Order: sequence, then structure tokens, then C-alpha cells
Amino acid sequence: MNARSFSLPRTTVVVLTVVVIFMPIGLILWQSLLNAPFFNPARHYGLGSYAFIFEDTDFWSAFGNSIVIAAGMVVIALPLGAALAFLLTRTDLPAQHWIEVLVLIPVFVSPMVLAFGYVVAMGPVGFYSLWAKSLFGDVPWNIYSLASIAIIAGLTHVPHVYLYSSAALKSLGSDVEEAARVAGANPLQVALNVSLPMTMPALFYAAVLVFFLGFELFGLPLVLGDPEGHLVLSTYLFKLTNKLGTPSYHLMAAVAVCIIAVTFPLVLLQRWLLKSAGKYVSVKGKATRQKLLPPGGWKWVALGLVALWLVFTIVVPISGIALRAFVEQWGEGIKLSEVVTLDNFRGVLDQTDQVRAIVNTLLIGVIGGGLAVACYTAIGLAGHRQRGGVSKILDYIVLIPRAIPGLLAGLAFLWIFLFVPGLKDLRNTIFSVWLAYTVVWLAYGMRLISSALLQIGPELEESARTAGASSRRVLTDVTIPLIRFGLLASWLLVFMIFEREYSTGVYLLGQGTEVIGSMLVSLWGAGAIDQVAALSLINIALVALGLGVALRFGVRLHE
Amino acid sequence: MNESSKQQLVVENLHLAYGANRILQGVSMTLKPGEVVALLGASGSGKTTLLRSVAGLEQPNQGRITIGNTVLYDGSAGIDLPVEKRNLGLVFQSYALWPHRSVFENVAYGLRLRGVNGGEIDKRVGEALANLGLGALATRLPHQLSGGQQQRVAIARALVYNPPVVLMDEPLSNLDAKLREEARAWLRELIVRLNLSALVVTHDQTEAMAMADRILLLNSGRIEQQGTPEEMYSRPQTQFTAEFMGSNNHLPGKVTQLVDGRAMLEGEGWRLWGAARGAVRVGTGATGVIRLERTRIADGPGENRLRTVLVTGMFLGDRKENLFELGALRLRCYGDAPAGDGGFYLELPADHLWIFPTEVSHGTA
Repeated sequence: MNARSFSLPRTTVVVLTVVVIFMPIGLILWQSLLNAPFFNPARHYGLGSYAFIFEDTDFWSAFGNSIVIAAGMVVIALPLGAALAFLLTRTDLPAQHWIEVLVLIPVFVSPMVLAFGYVVAMGPVGFYSLWAKSLFGDVPWNIYSLASIAIIAGLTHVPHVYLYSSAALKSLGSDVEEAARVAGANPLQVALNVSLPMTMPALFYAAVLVFFLGFELFGLPLVLGDPEGHLVLSTYLFKLTNKLGTPSYHLMAAVAVCIIAVTFPLVLLQRWLLKSAGKYVSVKGKATRQKLLPPGGWKWVALGLVALWLVFTIVVPISGIALRAFVEQWGEGIKLSEVVTLDNFRGVLDQTDQVRAIVNTLLIGVIGGGLAVACYTAIGLAGHRQRGGVSKILDYIVLIPRAIPGLLAGLAFLWIFLFVPGLKDLRNTIFSVWLAYTVVWLAYGMRLISSALLQIGPELEESARTAGASSRRVLTDVTIPLIRFGLLASWLLVFMIFEREYSTGVYLLGQGTEVIGSMLVSLWGAGAIDQVAALSLINIALVALGLGVALRFGVRLHE
Repeated sequence: MNESSKQQLVVENLHLAYGANRILQGVSMTLKPGEVVALLGASGSGKTTLLRSVAGLEQPNQGRITIGNTVLYDGSAGIDLPVEKRNLGLVFQSYALWPHRSVFENVAYGLRLRGVNGGEIDKRVGEALANLGLGALATRLPHQLSGGQQQRVAIARALVYNPPVVLMDEPLSNLDAKLREEARAWLRELIVRLNLSALVVTHDQTEAMAMADRILLLNSGRIEQQGTPEEMYSRPQTQFTAEFMGSNNHLPGKVTQLVDGRAMLEGEGWRLWGAARGAVRVGTGATGVIRLERTRIADGPGENRLRTVLVTGMFLGDRKENLFELGALRLRCYGDAPAGDGGFYLELPADHLWIFPTEVSHGTA
């Protein structure tokens, strides 16, 4: 197709994309260079806000904690995720299909919900803690320590490593492994000498990804770091809101720029690594069956470890929430049978803002998710089969939102809605939250769309062109019909992601813009444990609904 | 190469099935030391499965595989030696070179696993690479090599630890047509020079005939016929073998006489004598099969000659191929058709016209 065909719709899509991406990040950069909130008439340019935070010891300790937690997550998640991937792709471990589904659950459960789950399950007076106390006379763990936060974050990020390493292992031709067997290597030697080095690029990518996610962490350190005062950069930024009494937007923007200064290079590094991760993908001459290595007697040990991990990352927090949602209160000496109640849910239903949060969450997931997929598709098609510079630029700028943590993006969009003329009326509608969500998850959505577009062989479109269809007819008659199942699957995945999202809505929370995620952050801050438990369970149920539909229709849970 | 290669590979009554899908249905074969045997067959015939069963990469359901005194697999005794303990060399169709290891390290890996010391490894890998003309490429990575070089590395890797038998799975199929013919001669020479015992899987009968001392033709998991290339080509026992080994003319008709192993085949407007093969009976349908190169243009009428009309001629470079018709029959033959009014006599010598009882034909020529 002609690279110079700048049709009106295509230009509109490109311009809108550039605007929604660069407005928030531009605003943050600009604000960080002012010495007061940008709407304050007395503001002027200066580096005062950077000077302020760089002199704050809390900033440096938060920065240090972020690095320690992110590094700890890599150390924990990388070996576990890689081992899990090897067990599930290369050995005849029983119940593989179900384990694979269960492994992905932590990806779709809100970290805020998980963190809360750990508090009620394993906190000082959590269900499992009191149970352990009755057995050992003491609670043998403290989930509020920095190490615990790193361990919990590490274990809940095992799926990310698993996803990339299992994809690499699956694309690895079985012939190279068989060649090593024939040459005289036993299964362990095959794993160490062939499979592991050949998946190294993917593992390195996963390590950078986990470190990056660790640096962005918000929900877990917000809930678990609070009791002992462990701050990370995102929670430090969040606390700044109230620190000085007046809106200290300039300070927050400076912290935001510091965070982006770390995350943006990581995003670029990830992109570069992803390209090299395909280095060892071998195209097999013949479709041979994936040869599975029998793990022998180790099978049950491996299965036991997998089960242990599943119990810790899924069963413990979710069962904690499920229990807490149905009791009035909990603590030492309380009998479960005496406190069972439905009052928590009645409490939620009595509050109009909480009911609105549930309705809004559903709307933003179903309708908003569909609209978001439509936007992503439009952007994807704008760059589809175009060799021009514009599509290359699009390719890169959709990565920018990835580097901005949701909390910051929400803040930037709040500013936009407050101070861009004509947008004020939209600020109190769910549209503002939807726009922020859509931009924050742009990179994720674009990956879904482009993997759907990649499935179409160019000859299918070329033959339509040859037959006389204009490029627009090709889109409507060939391309879009061919990716429609991919689009439906993307809709479902975006639904789950939007149900789970919490940090982006925090600063946008107001009357009319409530969603469960941001409501949880606010209620947790206010100490309304009963309602947090009930809303968390409702949130889990919504995600589970999406997951159930996805499994029913065989949607792959990752691209 | 040394004593370890002086052992015979014996496969006895091997069966293998995936569920109801029976891939191998009682295959027996031997591979003598210093011999090259080709496993020939169409896709789905079980040839690759047989090779992979010998390597230990597939699990047969019954039967026995031995090399010398070593039992690799014995269904009834419950013996199934792990792949890495079989000490065989296998050249993969895709070559399966490890992309993260240099040429040297690819070849050296089998020796390292066998605990050979460093100096000895340098010496033996050096020899193997030199044998294959790869001496200068030792430090390269696989992706820096051409297809032909990759193939040679794969062979060096399979030979370096002197396995008693070398298995090759379609070793030439990843090369371009032109390169393939050269590689065929080179590979045959290498096998003979190093006195290897090799089992080679291929779907190309020319390749099988060129490379092997003996050919095993597989059909639906059974051995259809085995023998030297010459026997397989010139004395096929079944129509399947005849079709698989060369290009033929087909003459469907009916047997009207049987005399001393010769059969008279009659069709609409023609009758020919041929060599009866299999259970041919008077009054039943039969198919006459003759190699294209045995069909020739004659200068006039005579015994076993047919008057036909030239339809078209095709120039193939080294020769010409002509298409003739006689009623519903279509006959092809090589050679220059003399100028004329379109009427030609074709001779189909009785010794070379095989008459097979009509049955459902397997595969195509």
C-alpha cells in the first residue's frame, strides 16, 4: 500500500493518539519545573521542587526501598517462573492445563485486593496467623517487613516470568533438545546446557520486566508498608498529597519525573530485548510432536512445590478476603460461628457511592473495554502495513504510557480535566476515568491488537487489492473480519484488566467517577475494613466472571 | 571407524501405535557393519518413526532393537534404554545445531558428556571438522554458516564420538535442488571413506538409490520390499514398488492368456505380452506397467508394438519427452519423434512390461 496515502481518518487517529499521550506527560514535565502548582498565578520556573525532594530523607529511603523490593522480586520470581515454565512445557506433570490457568490468576487480581487479602489472612491478627499462633504459640512471620513485601511481590510476579519463559520454551524446536539427548545428555543436562541458554534472552527480558513492575508497585507497599512506615517511590508520592496541607502538585510532579526517569529507559530496554528474545526461535522443518521429558520420581516433588506456591499466592489471600467479607469483626478469641454476617454487603449497598462504584466498574469494563479495544484497533490499523515513518513513530510513542505508573497518569489526567478549557464538565463523569485507563493500558492493548493483526498473511490483503478493492475496502472486507475473534478476545482481556485497575482512578475519584479499585484505596485509607472486604470480594467475582468466560471460549490469557 | 562400528543393528517385529493410529506394524530389518541402508517411503509410511524408535525418541509398543550384544529396546523384557545411553549418532532433518554454541562446541558436546579430556577433545573435534572440510569454521556460530556447512557440522557432531550406527533423517532435504545432487555424491563418498554404518531416511527414490547399498521400502508401517537399488528398480515385486521407484506408463486391461510366466494383456484396440507379476489370472483385470525409458519409438509395426498418435512433445534439456495417445491410453516416452503424419509405432518390450493384478493403487508414480 502507498505509504503516502494520508487519509483523513488515519491522520485523525494519529493526531488524537499523539495528543492523549503527550498531554499528560508534557504536563507532568512542565509542572515539575515550576515552584508552585501551575494554576497558581504566583508560580515561576525553577528547580525548587527537585531541590525540595532531593533534600527529603524520606525520598531517598523510598527510592532505596523501591530498588530493594524490585531487585528482590527479580531474585524470587525469575528462578521460580523459569522452573515452572520448564515443568509445564517439558515434563509430563499431571494436571498441566489447570495449573497453567491457575498460574495466571495473580496477573488478573488487583494488587490492592491481594495486599488486603494478605493482611486479613496473615497479618498480626489474620485468620492464618491466629491459626498458626494456636499451633506454635506465636505468629512465625511478620508480613509488614520490607523483606515480606519483596517476597509477596516476588511470588505474585512469578506468572510474568512464567509467561515469557514458557513462550520461549514452546517456540524452541524440540529437535535441538533431542539432538542433545542423542549426543548423550540426560534430561537435566539438556535443561542446563541447551534449554536454559536458549531461553536466556527471554529470561533476561522477564527480569527487566519484573524489575520495572517492582519499581511501579503501589497497592502492595501502600497496604503492607504502612504499619511499619516503609515507603516506596509511588507511596511517597501518594503521601505527598497531604504532606504540606495545600496541593503540592509541583513536588509530586518532580517525584513523578524521577520515577519516569527510571521506568522509561527500562521500557526501551524491554523493547530492545523483546526483539532479541526471538533470536533462538527455530523454525522446524516438520511439525513434530513436542517431546516431553519424563521427570521421573521428581514429578511429585515438583507438583508439591507448585501447589505450595499456588496456595500462598492465590488460596491464602483470596480465602482471607472471602472469610473477612462474611464476618463482623475478627481478632483473637473470636469464634467464627458467632460473627458470621451479611452486614458488610448490606453496608456496601446502603452507600450510594459504593453502589455507583460497582455499576461504574462494570460499565468501564464492558462498555469502556469495548471502546478501548475500538480505539486500539483504530491505532493498530492506522499503522497496519504502512512502511512510512509515521507508523514507526506510532510504534514507539504507544510505549510512553507504559513508563508512566497509573497513579501518575491519573493525576495528570485530573489536571487536564481541571484546567483544559471545555473539559471541566467531563471531569465528574466516568469518561475521565475511562480515558485515563485507556491511555495507561495503551501499550498492553496495542500488543493484543498487533498480535491479532500479525496472524493475517499479507497475501490475503494483497489479493483483495489486486481484485480491485481500495485500501479502505480491504480493511472493512478482509482485515477486520479476519481479526474479529482476536478483537473479541482482546475485549475480554481488557475487561479483566479494567476491572482490576485501581491506581489510575485514585486521583480522579470524585462524585460520579467512583470505581471499585480507587474506592478500595480510599476506604482502606479511612480504615473501613468491612467494606473493603466486601468490595474486594465483589471485585474478585467480576474478574472471575471474565476469567470464566475466557476459559469457556478458549481465549488465550496472554498474547 | 573403529571396532565399535563393527556391530550389527537388528530390528525385530517392531510395532508402534499412537492410540488407534498404527504407525509401525511389525517391521524387521538388519544393518550390517559398513553398510548403508535407506528407509524409503511416502510421508506417513513410518520411516521417520522407525529411525526415531532406533534412536529412542519414540516408544514402540512391542518388538526388539539390538546393536551387537546391546539391547536398546525389548518390549517383552521391558527394556527401553534412555536416548542418551544408546550411543548413536543422529543427523536431524533441520540439523538442530545449538545456536548458542560455536561450531567447535556443537561438535565437542558429545565428547564433553563422555568425559573426554580437553586435549583429546581438541584433537578429535579437529579431525572431525577436517574430515568434513570445516577446519576453518570452528569458531563460527551456526547462523553464520550456509545450509551446506550447517549440514556438515550436524554430521560431524553425530560422528565425532564414533557411534556404531549413524542415523540420518532426510539429511539432504534442507538443501536446494542443485546443491542436493552434489551433497548426495559427497555424502556417499564420506560414508564409504569412513566405513560408516548408516541408516538414512528419505522420501526421494533417486537419493535412496544413489546413497544406499540396500533400500527398505516402507508402506503404511510395513516393509513392502527390500533389496539392492538395482533389484528394487528393475525387479519390483509389487505395483507399489514399481510405482515408487520410477516413472511409468500404465496400461489397464484384461489378462487373456498365461504362458510360462508371460501374460497377454488386452485393452480396447490393443494387445501386448508382458511379464506376469503376482497373482495374475486369466480373465481378470490387470495393469501393465513399464518404465518410461523402456518404452521406445519403433520404425514400423512388429511384436509388442502399438500404433499411436503423437499428442505433444516436451523439451526437457537433456532429452525430449513425447506424449502419445491410443484410444483412452496415454503413453509417454523419451526420444526424438521422427517427422511424419502423426502416426507412430511404440515398442513395449515384453521383458520390461510388468503385469500386476489390478488392485487399489497406492500412491502415485
